[in-house]
Amino acid sequence: MSGTVVGAGINRVDGPRKVAGAAPYPSDFNVHHQVHAALVGSTVAAGRVVRIDTAAAEAAPGVIRVLTHLNMPRLERGPMTALGASPPPPMQDDLIRHYGQHLALVVAESPEQAAAAARLVAVEYERTEPLLDVLDPKAPQVIDPWGTDSDRGDTEAALASAEVKVTQTYTTPDNTNSPLGLFATLAIWDRDRLTVHDTTQWPSMVKETLAAVFEVPESSVRVLVPYVGGAFGAGLRAWQHVILTVAAARLIGRPVKLVLTRPQMFSCVGHRPDTVQQVSLAANRSGELTAIDHRTVSSLAMEDDDYEAVSAGSAFAYRCRNVVTRDVQARLNRPAPCSMRAPAEGQGNFALESAMDELAYALAMDPLQLRLRNDTDVDPRSGLPWSSKALRECYQVGAERFGWSSRDPEPGSMRDGDWLIGYGMAGCSYPWYSVPCSARATVSRDGSALVLSAVTDIGTGTYTVMTQVSAEHLGLPLGLVRFDLGDSDMPAAPQAGGSGLTGSLGNAVVDACGRLVRRFAELAAEDGESPLHGVPPEAVTAGGGRVHVKGESSRGESYIDILSRNGLPELSADGSSTPASPEDLGMAPSGAFGAKFVEVRVDRDLGLVRIARVVSAIDGGRILNEKTGRSQIIGATIGGIGQALFEDTVTDPGTGRIANGTFGDYLIPVNADIPDLDVVFVGEPDRFSPIGTKGIGEIGLVGIAAAVANAVRHATGRRVRSLPITIDDLL
Amino acid sequence: MRADISRGTTVPEVFETVTELTVNGRPSVLSLDTRVTLLDALRDHLGLVGTKKGCDQGACGACTVHVNGKRVLSCLTLAAQCEGRAVTTIEGVARAGAPHPVQEAFVARDGFQCGFCTPGQIMSAIALIDEERAGTDDEIREFMSGNLCRCGAYPNMVAAIREVVSEGNGNAVI
Repeated sequence: MSGTVVGAGINRVDGPRKVAGAAPYPSDFNVHHQVHAALVGSTVAAGRVVRIDTAAAEAAPGVIRVLTHLNMPRLERGPMTALGASPPPPMQDDLIRHYGQHLALVVAESPEQAAAAARLVAVEYERTEPLLDVLDPKAPQVIDPWGTDSDRGDTEAALASAEVKVTQTYTTPDNTNSPLGLFATLAIWDRDRLTVHDTTQWPSMVKETLAAVFEVPESSVRVLVPYVGGAFGAGLRAWQHVILTVAAARLIGRPVKLVLTRPQMFSCVGHRPDTVQQVSLAANRSGELTAIDHRTVSSLAMEDDDYEAVSAGSAFAYRCRNVVTRDVQARLNRPAPCSMRAPAEGQGNFALESAMDELAYALAMDPLQLRLRNDTDVDPRSGLPWSSKALRECYQVGAERFGWSSRDPEPGSMRDGDWLIGYGMAGCSYPWYSVPCSARATVSRDGSALVLSAVTDIGTGTYTVMTQVSAEHLGLPLGLVRFDLGDSDMPAAPQAGGSGLTGSLGNAVVDACGRLVRRFAELAAEDGESPLHGVPPEAVTAGGGRVHVKGESSRGESYIDILSRNGLPELSADGSSTPASPEDLGMAPSGAFGAKFVEVRVDRDLGLVRIARVVSAIDGGRILNEKTGRSQIIGATIGGIGQALFEDTVTDPGTGRIANGTFGDYLIPVNADIPDLDVVFVGEPDRFSPIGTKGIGEIGLVGIAAAVANAVRHATGRRVRSLPITIDDLL
Repeated sequence: MRADISRGTTVPEVFETVTELTVNGRPSVLSLDTRVTLLDALRDHLGLVGTKKGCDQGACGACTVHVNGKRVLSCLTLAAQCEGRAVTTIEGVARAGAPHPVQEAFVARDGFQCGFCTPGQIMSAIALIDEERAGTDDEIREFMSGNLCRCGAYPNMVAAIREVVSEGNGNAVI
């Protein structure tokens, strides 16, 4: 197979639809006879509903039904997922676990009527004191929730005898995913068959969950999401509002549509949980790390799970004999957290890479040299060589493009008028993740191909890169290949998340295409009229719309001819992928690696921070599309700038209310905050995954916050250990 | 512990109004609840779902449309306010079946990812060029800052707008 189609920076195949406003997102779907729902949320964070009066709402114009815990059907919790338990079923009792918890669902003929009537639901509460602070000693703690804590060597002794040591506490706040698309659910029951348009990154999981909760066969549930509208992790769960909407549609006997409000997007669909992290690093005078001790506490909902192994990355970031990592989650009366772009690493790397910078100052050593000195070409947990790792090249190429060598190490020494200039850098990784996936490839009598899998394209470019992979492996031009997704009736697939989809799906698509080519070869081999008669199928490959003998492109025939002669309208093949075991391959599967270099400018009088330049050097393995790949890194870099300088979901300490749950109050970067961003890909295709990719959805974000904080330290002499870094930190 | 009661108990009256809207050159007469915004009228009553609702609070720009040639936030505009005015949405910017140069440049420069904010970004970008506020990259960044993008496609949008301006295609009449 030639490599000219894969890797090329072709335009997004879904681009023309998106720029025309013709790409349908879940909130864009409407069906005949549908009604509209609005949610009523708790205005206290803990306690009990004593009385809920729905009479006025029920009497309001257009109102069809008001559901509360008093009349909501009793439902089972959804099944476990790869990311932990399903959210608990909604409105099953009178207990209040967090501010904004769903207490009622009002269904009316129009959205305006539902929203107006929702304001008429009166709730009488019995309040109890909410647990809101991640360090509250009364908060129930979950120790090592994901079995990722690690111990190597004797860290305590190494710290006690250290030549140079840094011990500091770092904190990160709640951040909220905040995709632009408001999450929407449209539930349509036809007897016991259920169709749901839903904002999700994982249609197969939503299907399985709804089938289990509503006790219908999985084959009776169809989840559709051709376009997501962003999610950044918020779409990895079957949230309570989805269950409520589906329940309401079944009870009322009409399709029900619910579109969350922007404030509800802050309290109903997850967020990145806040952390308090203590990091101790020890090194000898030549800068070799002798101990890493990283302990974290992060917040968790009262009755829900969140995969957030904050310190886990510190166990394999550097060559170091003595390592301890510890994660604890504290259960609080706050809305449920969930994955948010670069979950865990986004917080943990800020602490580790800030501490590395502090260690560099303590050693009077260049921070880049400190990282290079402690780089490891084996996974220190297993001792196995990485399946690919070009982190040294990331450091070297990134430093060169950035001009790191021109950095004067003295803080505050580089200036431009009133602006203090700071250079900061950080190393980063995002761990490997892969799960089984399936796909189906079909070639039709007109010579075109359709490849399907029940995945989503959350903006990463899945439609586009899988069209490229399919075209290459079927030997067809891009224009004759369509890759389709976003429908749970398609072959089962995992989530778009964890930087794992492109590898899992790519390998499944390659397998499906390979099996399909083989089916054509088998048909031709058995056919006395075919030029491939008697040719063993393994000697056949695809190219130019034909199957032909490898190395002999003239001996073969077209898909169209084979189908025509056999009287077939089309031929299909199912393919799948299952990740290999690291032990079998004798290597440690690598995630992406990166080096981030940032120039900040800080107004010396006003404390204003501006990002002047960012260079991201990324080892993402094989890049399937240079254009969309670069966009992924740019986008995540901007997410990292938001984490570093702007984003802070504020919980009111008295009431537990999210105090800034709007786009007017919760700041995310705007266009004027962002300079041109430089991205360079280095490294080779990964050896562990047949398709050679490593996943690049999160790596662009990791390391940015630390590099910004380190640059601010260099510009101002001030070390800020608490995100976001704001003007008041620098006055 | 104390008990308290939230929210009111009044049933609101509902008023309807007949509004004549001209959207993308096509006149239509709608009988609407007076509370209906221009955004909801477009999406829920005229089936023009290309214009997006990202916040419904005037803070994200996803609902940007043109009213009499000026960019407005359709979520903060009541449909009834647009009586007799010309409304242009993302569905109305292509000419003779050909995409607007800004639409083409957004595709070529990858000025979007999930695509949800994109119609609003493009409506702002077209107006920005018309307003002659696209003279420098910094000016583009400043005057595009009312449109949020969470995927982080800002630099590519700036490149797309810069390309349209430099090729002299920005004055396409809408």
